Amino acid sequence: MAYLAPAEFVTKMVDAGESKIFMSTRDTLVRAYMAGAILALAAAFAITVTVQTGQPLLGAVLFPVGFILLYLLGFDLLTGVFTLTPLALIDKRPGVTVGGILRNWTLVFFGNFAGALTVAVMMAIIWTFGFTEAPNTVAQKIGTIGEGRTVGYAAHGAAGMLTLFIRGVLCNWMVSTGVVAAMLSTHVSGKVIAMWMPIMVFFYMGFEHSIVNMFLFPSGLMLGGNFSLYDYMVWNEIPTVIGNLVGGLAFVGLTLYSTHVKTAPKRKPA
Amino acid sequence: MTSLQLALTIGQHSDKGRKEANQDFHGALLPEESLRGSKGIAVALADGISSSEVGHLAAQFAVHSFLDDYYCTSEAWSVKTSALKTLAATNAWLYSQTQQGQGRFDKDRGHVCTFSGIVFKSTTAHLFHIGDGRITLLRGGNAEPLTQEHRVVVSGDKSYLSRAFGIHPQLDIDYRTVALEAGDVFVIATDGVHEYVEPKLVLEALAEHGDKLDAAAAAITAAALERGSTDNLTVQLVRVDGLPSGEIGELQQQLAELPLPSLLEAGATFDGYRIERELHASSRSHVYLASDAATDEKVVIKIPSVDLGQDAGHLEAFLMEEWIARRISHPHVLKPGGQNRKKQFLYVTTEYIEGCTLTQWMRDHPQPDLETVRNLIDQIARGLQAFHRLEMLHQDLRPDNILIDAAGTVKLIDFGSVSVAGVAEAIAPAERGTMLGTPQYTAPEYFLWEEGTTRSDQFSLGVIAYQLLCGRLPYGAEVAKCKSAAEQKRLKYASLLQTRGDVPVWVDGAIKKAVHPNPEWRYEAISEFLHDLRHPNRSFLSDRPPPLIERNPLVFWKLLSLILFALVVVLLATHPIAGA
Repeated sequence: MAYLAPAEFVTKMVDAGESKIFMSTRDTLVRAYMAGAILALAAAFAITVTVQTGQPLLGAVLFPVGFILLYLLGFDLLTGVFTLTPLALIDKRPGVTVGGILRNWTLVFFGNFAGALTVAVMMAIIWTFGFTEAPNTVAQKIGTIGEGRTVGYAAHGAAGMLTLFIRGVLCNWMVSTGVVAAMLSTHVSGKVIAMWMPIMVFFYMGFEHSIVNMFLFPSGLMLGGNFSLYDYMVWNEIPTVIGNLVGGLAFVGLTLYSTHVKTAPKRKPA
Repeated sequence: MTSLQLALTIGQHSDKGRKEANQDFHGALLPEESLRGSKGIAVALADGISSSEVGHLAAQFAVHSFLDDYYCTSEAWSVKTSALKTLAATNAWLYSQTQQGQGRFDKDRGHVCTFSGIVFKSTTAHLFHIGDGRITLLRGGNAEPLTQEHRVVVSGDKSYLSRAFGIHPQLDIDYRTVALEAGDVFVIATDGVHEYVEPKLVLEALAEHGDKLDAAAAAITAAALERGSTDNLTVQLVRVDGLPSGEIGELQQQLAELPLPSLLEAGATFDGYRIERELHASSRSHVYLASDAATDEKVVIKIPSVDLGQDAGHLEAFLMEEWIARRISHPHVLKPGGQNRKKQFLYVTTEYIEGCTLTQWMRDHPQPDLETVRNLIDQIARGLQAFHRLEMLHQDLRPDNILIDAAGTVKLIDFGSVSVAGVAEAIAPAERGTMLGTPQYTAPEYFLWEEGTTRSDQFSLGVIAYQLLCGRLPYGAEVAKCKSAAEQKRLKYASLLQTRGDVPVWVDGAIKKAVHPNPEWRYEAISEFLHDLRHPNRSFLSDRPPPLIERNPLVFWKLLSLILFALVVVLLATHPIAGA
């Protein structure tokens, strides 16, 4: 199985980040929407497995399937673009501006949210027979998760907020490592293996992933979770997004860039 | 009989016969040992059509370019691939000459010629044939014609060429291989000879002159003339004296598929070179500075990246690069480097230039003065024109692909995306878009998956001129986001004058024209752009918008038609038709 030298894959990282900034609005939105939807389905699937087998590890082992699928199909998650797009700016690629990066992040955020929300509504219909029956066990579980990870943090005040933020940081540290590791291999099998491990880790450890949460919490709200939209936004989504940004950029993008790109000499005859 | 090397004896003769000028052209090339093993020995004959004043030039170009270009192709290519690519490029050039000259209206006056060539490599003869020449094989006293004449007979004495070089943009050439046997004689003759001399006479001439094949060839043409041939007379004779033994033939074939080298490190020795240091690495290739262990000459070695090595299409493009570099000899284009020796691995060598890329230069000189920029653009343009003259498009012109040495001389490097007219694209345009990864300099038409033209290279040149002056891009990041012609129409050019007040209006106007989203609106030729960068063009000085016929011809003609229609209606109404 071929493995790329670091100097090869870091330039690929920068190229990938650059190409996302140059992507048209339509493509960016469509790809983000699909990524959000597929990840939400994978989360619904993993929680179903966990509840029905009573074994959280099994759910975590199977969850990466969805992530791998959306990566191979070329769809974009907010967590991924957080890590990749700033590299194009740091590498001084012409035409790349702060405005361009923010535009990309905003579009991807809303695309992901719309995709995850679509799946949340669809799953809620399935779990409640079109809102005519009481939520089943899986749906109840989602409601309690939503409660624990919003009101639960709030109960701890500032310490709760710190915990939430750190969980967000660790989450994208893992997820972005998976994305970058997938670039190491030139074969699909290699990419799958490289992504599996970090994604499984984040899901099992209960780290906060902004897009998974875009499914979990709206679902919880629809299925009668005991928390408000305000709780979700302030005590989960917003700190998670910031944590994801810091984790992906600080621990994956910038570290790899500074050690593998900056060491290369700038002079390059031919 | 077996010997270690393929041994041939070649004899040839050409005579203008009863015509005023000789429009035939012939040649043979016996390269040095190493090339002979990898590429073989080439023999070629072309016959320019007599109705054209430039037929002799076409014939001369066809033979010359085949013999030169064929040996420039990568050693990793098969004889068939190398020769067909070379011939396709030759045909495309002749066709473009035909289109530019009288031949555009009358093919009989264009750059048109026939071509028959053979490449002898190892134990095989590879035949390439188009037109009404003929290749005949004499083996064991029998004569076997190996080719068909591409000639259509209209009436008793009237006939014309159905296929030839320089008539069509796409080349349709016959290819076949013949396994060699010792003692074989290949006879390549133009119609002035093979229509008048039967094989028996050729065999007699060969028997009479023994090893003096030139004399035999002269005797054959003399016989044809004597029998009333009215055309130019040319014949080439190639006798196979010895064949390489079987094992060597096979070994050579194995070497044709060179292995990919692994990544190199400083200090390592690699195929006769000592690696000094790594110069550049990316997901496309690794570039090293190396010195020849024997001569100490500095060269640059480029090997495909691991990522790229998996992809046959990309490897193909990588090898094309070597061929393209050897085809062009120009002060502003990077030259191939190193000796022409046999390679054990798949890699490319080029000359070493001590300097920096234009990207770096721009960082060091954020606000260069206008004259410096014009000087750089002039040099880049001259390099580009060298590509265009050979019917090639660069397609990936960007500051990273331009080097400036200590003396300020500009060189274009990296020909990985060059398209050669006539040569089928190894990578489909739809795939190429994902490959380039530098949308900043790519002309808008490529994003619509349209074919590039020299105006697409002009766009890249214009963007570089703009960026040199102000450090930004004329359309920011917007070009790549437009996926339709309608969206491209809305692209807004940000005037240079906003950031560079010291640049004259007409220079801004010239750059604006060169980077127009619609290729139709750019300059006809790059030389016009260069001219306008130095001479104030009056049309850029006036504030008045250009007339409607220039801005939107379609609307102009529609409007005119509407007015005419209204006039007709008015006339019909005021002048009743007689009798109605």
